[in-house]
Amino acid sequence: MKNDRTNHKDPVVLLVEDDASDVRLIEVALRRTPGSIQLMRVEDGDLACDYLSGKTPYSDREEYPLPITMILDIKLPKRSGLEVLQWLRSQREPIRLLPTLMLTSSTHRKDVNTAFENGANAYLSKPENIKDLAAMLAEFKNFWLGRMEFPDLGAPEKRGVQD
Amino acid sequence: MSSNSAMLQSEDVYRRLVETVRDYAIFLLTPVGNIASWNPGAKRLKQYSVDEIIGKHFSIFYPEYDIANGKPPMELREAAAEGRYVDEGWRVRKDGTRFWANVTITAIRHEAGELIGFGNITRDLTDRRDAELRYRLLVEGVTDYAIFSLDPTGKVTSWNSGAQRIKGYTADEIVGEHFSRFYTPEDAAGGLPARVLNTAFTSGHYEGEGWRVRKDGSLFWASVVVTPLRDERGELIGFSKITRDVTERKRLLDKIQHHAQELELRIAEREQVNTELEAFSYSVSHDLRAPLRAIEGFTDIVLTDFGKELSPQVIELLQQVVQSTTRMNRLVQDLLNYSRLTRIEMEPAPIGMASAIRDASMQIEEGLRKHISVSVDRSLRVLAHPPTLIQVLINLIRNGLKFYPHGATPKVEISARLEGRRIVIAVRDEGIGIAPQHQQRIFKVFERLHTAAEYPGTGIGLAIVHRGITKMGGTVRLESTPGKGSTFYIDLAAA
Repeated sequence: MKNDRTNHKDPVVLLVEDDASDVRLIEVALRRTPGSIQLMRVEDGDLACDYLSGKTPYSDREEYPLPITMILDIKLPKRSGLEVLQWLRSQREPIRLLPTLMLTSSTHRKDVNTAFENGANAYLSKPENIKDLAAMLAEFKNFWLGRMEFPDLGAPEKRGVQD
Repeated sequence: MSSNSAMLQSEDVYRRLVETVRDYAIFLLTPVGNIASWNPGAKRLKQYSVDEIIGKHFSIFYPEYDIANGKPPMELREAAAEGRYVDEGWRVRKDGTRFWANVTITAIRHEAGELIGFGNITRDLTDRRDAELRYRLLVEGVTDYAIFSLDPTGKVTSWNSGAQRIKGYTADEIVGEHFSRFYTPEDAAGGLPARVLNTAFTSGHYEGEGWRVRKDGSLFWASVVVTPLRDERGELIGFSKITRDVTERKRLLDKIQHHAQELELRIAEREQVNTELEAFSYSVSHDLRAPLRAIEGFTDIVLTDFGKELSPQVIELLQQVVQSTTRMNRLVQDLLNYSRLTRIEMEPAPIGMASAIRDASMQIEEGLRKHISVSVDRSLRVLAHPPTLIQVLINLIRNGLKFYPHGATPKVEISARLEGRRIVIAVRDEGIGIAPQHQQRIFKVFERLHTAAEYPGTGIGLAIVHRGITKMGGTVRLESTPGKGSTFYIDLAAA
């Protein structure tokens, strides 16, 4: 689950994505762009909630560190991405403030509107090809991880992207 | 005062009173029936002068059949015996014409009781009788309505021909029977007949519709009005009931209602189909494209990360794979756009043509944008669904820019003009043109005139143009000469 090429100083990003191919493509696209991150991945909505609330098997924060941001698909097994958002924003812990980026193939107006209503911080649709995906993730690293100010999430302080 | 009252009691005054009455024939008869006095009213009514009539027998006023039956002497006998005899019947004037008379014959006796003669007061009631007769004939003659009356307990007291026609009973059969037999056994058992009379009695009126039973047991749908009948003192003497057979209307209404329900059902079904279609296209956009991303992405990874290890032939084949996924992606996107055009409700809104064309041009690849020229008056506004209009314009511009001989510089001109209450937009190119036999085909989905190698495309662009414009209430027209170019005309309502 952990990317061995990253070290503990890299910012932790939780990727919630059920499609193994998409995960591979995102990993490759992230590798092709400057700046390394520690990408943690879960494959359905329930596991995303378990991870964020530190439930078994995610109770060890050394092994499963709290992320500073989440990349969330909408169409997921068990709990949908929109439901994960709803759950997240209703939590008591500071984790409820977790900046969340929707990355999905749906451009359905209803999905976009509901995502923002439920507290998404950004919404991107999956590009058709890996070059565009890499370009998009490069911008994400630059802007989101590089320039954005993060709220206090009750986790270790944000660590900058390492070039 | 007392002398006045004495004067009024004098016989002379009575005589004068009688002599001035004109609306009543008042005359005296001797005990055997000879006429002894004659007032002006009598003269007016019966046309005889005093000289002509005094001394004649009063049977002269009766029709022959009354005389044959001995009616005049009978009347005198009755009056003598009872003190008074009242009759209504035909009487004859001097000229032989008849009138309907109300006659009161009073016996006049001495104080000792000896019969002196008779007083006769006759009134002409012909007009009233005619009116009553006309009314009765009217009611009886009405066949479309059952008009009948009930006594206060609900027993039938009169019956017209309409009632006979609608309900099947003759007057002889039904008069005296209780009207509850017109109701279905359930309604009768449920007390509806009594409620009908009670409502009419308390509120002065009852109106209703329902199933009623004919004599032969068949049912008809009746529209019923019941009104209470009261005498001069306000005492209830019965009810009038007017019933119409509106079975046909009821059947028609039921039919209409049935159709309406069916229509609602169909609309609901269509909405269901629409919802399913929406779910389908949602799933297509989401699920169909995921494997495409994977094919494209992994092929790209092989090419990028392992390209050095591959032969040029393998690299070329893998590049074909990437191109195919691009085409497939566009196809899916175009199909989604096309099917969305069918489903969405298009709320027309006023939109400036110049700005719509500008928005469309911005969607064209930057390198090609300079080949578009626009001459459109800023004041021209159409009624259209803006995203659809812009999509249509994009497709027409792309189409115009695409179909040029290879190597030639494409050129597309867009113009618009007001024609009556319509705005006609022309998109002109100087490309390869379209042969007349293909000019209708190109607007159909998946129709292509060229191979993908010659001119890439999905065969959906112009189908979107056609469906989009049609859905917005406009038309699409094409003028084209092979080798010279094409002009697409679309027209829409001016805003």
